[in-house]
Amino acid sequence: MSEGIDKQILDSYLTALFDTDKAGALRVVQEALDGGLTPEQVVFEVIIPGMERMIGGMISDNLVTLSQHFLASQIAEEVTDRLIPLFATVPEVQGHVVIGTSHGDFHGLGKKIVIGCLKARMFQVTDLGINVAPEKFVDQALEVGAEVIGISSMMVHTATGERGPKRVRQLLREQGLEDRLRIIVGGAPYRFHENLFREVGADAWGDTAAEVPGIVARLVREVRS
Amino acid sequence: MMTGMERFGALMSGGTPDRVPIVCNLLDQGARELGLSILEYYSRGEHVAEGQLRMREKYGYDTLTGMFYSALEAEVMGCRNIIYADDGPPNVGHLVINAPRDIKRLHVPDDLNEHPRFRELTTCIGLLKKEAQGRFPVLGVVTASFSLPAMLMGVGPWMELFLNGDPALRDELLETCSLFCSRQIAALREAGADLIVYVDPLASATFIQLKKFRELALPWIIRDLEAHGPAGVIFFNGGGRINPILADIREHAGIGAYYLNPYDDITEARALLGSNSLIAGTINDIRLIDWSPDEIEREVEKIMLAGKRAGGFIFGTLLMPCGIPEENIRALVAAAIRHGHHAESVVCR
Repeated sequence: MSEGIDKQILDSYLTALFDTDKAGALRVVQEALDGGLTPEQVVFEVIIPGMERMIGGMISDNLVTLSQHFLASQIAEEVTDRLIPLFATVPEVQGHVVIGTSHGDFHGLGKKIVIGCLKARMFQVTDLGINVAPEKFVDQALEVGAEVIGISSMMVHTATGERGPKRVRQLLREQGLEDRLRIIVGGAPYRFHENLFREVGADAWGDTAAEVPGIVARLVREVRS
Repeated sequence: MMTGMERFGALMSGGTPDRVPIVCNLLDQGARELGLSILEYYSRGEHVAEGQLRMREKYGYDTLTGMFYSALEAEVMGCRNIIYADDGPPNVGHLVINAPRDIKRLHVPDDLNEHPRFRELTTCIGLLKKEAQGRFPVLGVVTASFSLPAMLMGVGPWMELFLNGDPALRDELLETCSLFCSRQIAALREAGADLIVYVDPLASATFIQLKKFRELALPWIIRDLEAHGPAGVIFFNGGGRINPILADIREHAGIGAYYLNPYDDITEARALLGSNSLIAGTINDIRLIDWSPDEIEREVEKIMLAGKRAGGFIFGTLLMPCGIPEENIRALVAAAIRHGHHAESVVCR
């Protein structure tokens, strides 16, 4: 497929994402497959660039909205799940993340968006759901062999409370697991306070879901080194 | 010295109060004042009214907030489980809408006071109105029809429905939520609310792009306010940026006061709104958890400077987290009083 056609496909896909037009975006994906793009090309040259445009401006310099993030992530997850079994070779898993919302927090949107972004970048993700006890984050991370624990919080008290990320950090310390597991946090409170992630004992935070795969990749490298 | 009510009255009639009015949204902190758990505190309207009165007296700001917690609206619409915390607002623990058929089953009571939780809320507002004796405006708070579904079905499913779902089902849900919003405004006003804070986070530029706002959210803002009119309504950001939508709301819904997000630029908001609207500029109150009094002073001064230049200005907070130490709340209000005074030569609007 020529470079010109690829660009046209990507542009059409980005336009659909910008308009939060799910049917339109999925139609572009199907047409690309029908037109001869391989599943790998669709994932790596259409879906992932679409997600990456979410970092810092999308097509125009307008504010990228949560609904655009939501849609890009949702499509990324759906299309990646469908196309990975069709890849010529099994893709290398980039790392394993267990993710959930902090104890007492019932807001699952941010987590859902992050999961889509991670899956599209070939991370294995174990979704622990909402209102997750700190002990469960650690136990599940050990059980599945994850390198990273992701904790999402929409409210200040669930981000900073004693049953939130602080307790997960404490458990890692008590069990001598700090070299084996990293903590990444995200959610509204962290966007209003740039140092809050450190105060709750996390190793990193993600301002937007689209930038999380890059940060998680770094954390995985740290654990594996 | 003017009362809070006189300060708001002066602003609303185009005049200049002695200083910028201060809105300090302390909610769950009232439980601490009364030595009650949050569950006990919110069980009675009398407790919440007492908590609000004590906190206003203690810190010296200009309003009384007649609100319990956002999830109370979901309770009135059928939510059967509210999750209480020791150190933060109660949460929705049961989603009312799990399938399309649940939307058809939603019911808005003709008289919201039939619901015992809503009755506690209006009892609280009535008490605040009585005790305020006209000195401080009582704020009633309602969630916009466009944002309420997020509490009834979850934000993700609601976004999926309004962006790419069945338009007929979406509109049916919005019709019901708008009826609830409209009846709530009437009931809160009847109970004694002087001003209505209209909260619409899903309509903000943080959630949806301007094109979608115009197509999906704006018509419902207009609808929500149709029965009672926009007078005395304050559009509250709910945690999202609203500068990009201000001009549209002003033009089409006629709301006269806008409560900005800390990341919305005050000068830009004034340029977008023209001279005939009030602006509440907000401090990033999550930072109040660990800022020093000096840092608070500098931040308040900066906001006040921009606000007084813009004119028609109110100083406000978002929903103050429980973790903010008392001395920082005192430092905040003291700084707002100090930097909020209008020099005689300054014309408010």
